[in-house]
Amino acid sequence: MSDEVTPNKGRSSAFVVSEQKRKIQKIKQKTGEGALLLIASFVAIVVLFIFWFVARDAVPFFQIKGFSEFFGSTNWYPADDPAEFGALAIIYGSVMVTAGSALLAVPMGVIASICLSDILPFSVRQYVKPVIEMLAAIPSVAYGFFALVVFAPLLQNYGGPILMWTWWVISAPFLLIAVIVAAELMTASIEKESSKKTASTVVGLGLGAIALAFLYFVGNKLNGITILSGTNALNVSIILSFMALPTIVSVSEDALQAVGRDLREGSYALGATRAETIIKTVLPAASSGILAAVILGIMRALGETMVVWMASGNSSAIPDPFYNYLDSVRTLTATIAGDMGEADQVTGSARFHVLFAMGLLLLIVSFVSNLISERIVVRQRKILSGQ
Amino acid sequence: MNLGTRKLLDHSFSALGFGSIVIMGLALLVVLTPIVSKGIGALVFQGTIEHRKILLNEFQRGDANAIGLQEAEANEYRQNAFAMLAAFDQELDQMEWSEQSKYRNNYDQVKKALRHLFGPIPGDTEPALTRFRYGQTRWDKAEEALHELLYEQKWDYSNPDVIAKPYYVSRATEFEGTSLVKLFSYVEENLDKMMLPEWTFYWGFITDKSIDAHFFGGIWPEIQGTIFLALGAMLFAFPLGVIAAIYFTEYAKDGFLTSMLRSANSTLAGVPSIVFGLFGLAFFINTMHVSHSKSVLAGSLTLAIMILPTIIRAAEEAILAVPKTYKEASLGLGSTKWNTIVTVILPAALPGILTGGVISLGRAAGETAPIIFTAAVSVGTAIGIGDVLNSPTPALSWNIYNLASEHEAAAEIRHVQYGMVLSLVSIVLLLNLSAIILRARISKKLKG
Repeated sequence: MSDEVTPNKGRSSAFVVSEQKRKIQKIKQKTGEGALLLIASFVAIVVLFIFWFVARDAVPFFQIKGFSEFFGSTNWYPADDPAEFGALAIIYGSVMVTAGSALLAVPMGVIASICLSDILPFSVRQYVKPVIEMLAAIPSVAYGFFALVVFAPLLQNYGGPILMWTWWVISAPFLLIAVIVAAELMTASIEKESSKKTASTVVGLGLGAIALAFLYFVGNKLNGITILSGTNALNVSIILSFMALPTIVSVSEDALQAVGRDLREGSYALGATRAETIIKTVLPAASSGILAAVILGIMRALGETMVVWMASGNSSAIPDPFYNYLDSVRTLTATIAGDMGEADQVTGSARFHVLFAMGLLLLIVSFVSNLISERIVVRQRKILSGQ
Repeated sequence: MNLGTRKLLDHSFSALGFGSIVIMGLALLVVLTPIVSKGIGALVFQGTIEHRKILLNEFQRGDANAIGLQEAEANEYRQNAFAMLAAFDQELDQMEWSEQSKYRNNYDQVKKALRHLFGPIPGDTEPALTRFRYGQTRWDKAEEALHELLYEQKWDYSNPDVIAKPYYVSRATEFEGTSLVKLFSYVEENLDKMMLPEWTFYWGFITDKSIDAHFFGGIWPEIQGTIFLALGAMLFAFPLGVIAAIYFTEYAKDGFLTSMLRSANSTLAGVPSIVFGLFGLAFFINTMHVSHSKSVLAGSLTLAIMILPTIIRAAEEAILAVPKTYKEASLGLGSTKWNTIVTVILPAALPGILTGGVISLGRAAGETAPIIFTAAVSVGTAIGIGDVLNSPTPALSWNIYNLASEHEAAAEIRHVQYGMVLSLVSIVLLLNLSAIILRARISKKLKG
């Protein structure tokens, strides 16, 4: 404590410190806070640096070659003389595997997150969470190894039967329920109770036969497919969907949790079943958060390198026809990883800079989608807390 | 819709949810099962006499006398086979030219298969590569090599519409009528006496260096490289991340600057991992010249940037989870803000912060893309701790890719690849498991 006591300054005398000491303390505090701020803004500096340094090595490519070849041509012959750098097929490959994985992961992830937040009891949830965390934790190269060494040979040797069984297992329950509901709806107008029952049974059996024929027909078609190479867009899409799932599930579960109990209870009170409550009330309220989750999951798939590098087949051509997932593709990330080895020795060439151009493209896409998803989350939080 | 249908739809909706969760669990199981079951095969397997010879010659491990005796025993049986070769050599010399050329090509294949099985055969010059100096070290591989000796693979081109299918022709029938015919049945019957398989637990797979590009030996250089890289990344990222989290939770005021910094954090979290690799190459190596070319230091710095957002987020959450009363009590006792943070809040939040740190450590250990251009090499020996500043290192994640996709004999060393994948996955999952346990403890403690 100080020896100089000035009680008339409005402070309790026990804490009175000399003017000078207070100043020093304040300066210390300010400099300390400044240092903290500096360290905290390190992240922002790093982001700026990433943009700057990737762009700095990407710009020379566009100066040499311009935009039209990169975005407009599918001729990727970086080693030829004169070299051609048409990245359209590679960009398309990235889009294709990302879309494929999203097609699988988004419905599954959203439904799983609904199940986690609304359907499963707490005791079961505790055991599901570690499963999701483990799926997220497995290194991408291990997924890539699995895709290349285990899954690709399976697809190549038993592709047709695998497709057929997957089709049956997934579609049969859906069609069964659809048939029952359709029979119910079609006979809803019949007044008499007993004739209604027989009518719905008859209609149901008829529809069931049609559905079974449809299942069998498509299954047979799938069974006949032979997959020439197991390292293709389908393989990669399936594995990438596993990798995107944890992100989608955990972020959209947060969004679902953020929808309060009151909304759900209001819906139950009006007589809705749980499914109706979720679909008609909870999902619309959480939709923007789920959208953010989907964006993040898709970005995970787009930015993934090792799986696509090892198991996509790396052929830089647009599949024929363009939706043929059984064809090999090549993605931006795999091209960057794979071509740097050869481009490295000639730092400064177009071949080196084109990889940075691809990196810049990925960076910009990820930046924009991140901003969008962040805005969405912030807006949802505001709306929900405002209610 | 009547009530029955609505109930049915409700139940099927629940079933759909269960189904997708079950699919997730199955996916995990399907990915992990082959990795674990075959990965263990790299450590526990039926090792042949060749395996014990390698351990003795290359690593000076094992009882020299016992192995010498076993080798003599195996050689006794092998000599008979080699004698049959010598007899056929003589027979071949006495044949007509046209006769000879009929067998010559096939006979070379037989010799090749025998070399593959037993190592060099008498009369060969000492091979330059270690991989040719020994036979098959594993019984399962020896059986595959035996198949190669007994059968010739041919391709069926009869139907031009489908891809040619392989089929096998017994070599014994091809050498019908010559003295070599005995060889095949002899080797088939006495293979176990020639190879002397024993159940082996090869712990050296973890601690040995690799010999001749992973044909033999272990994966210690890769494991060590992974540990160096991950710990190096933590060394940079952990203090920075915790301090940044303290700023965000205790000092930052809501405003433009803070929201921008938070935005930057989530942007950094979303950057594709390969772009970190590009940045590491362009910034740390080509601009800052932290090292002449790839190095552990450059790789660690790149990984540190990658895991920084995760650490910040985890530390923020941990600090926010500390009850307000702790802080208020400390401030009420007259302690300064900084003192409160250091002596009260941080110790209380430490387990949570550590959880985030451990998970990030696992992420840094498992990532491949950022270290491709900055730190990883495919072949190399373990580096000393003093070399981290300027020499690259092999690392598990990169070498899994390299062995599976670029190795010249990828199909022959599948067991090594599986062993590597299992090591990497277990490192990462064990780190995650400890984080999960740590977190369960904390939540119990906070509940009281």
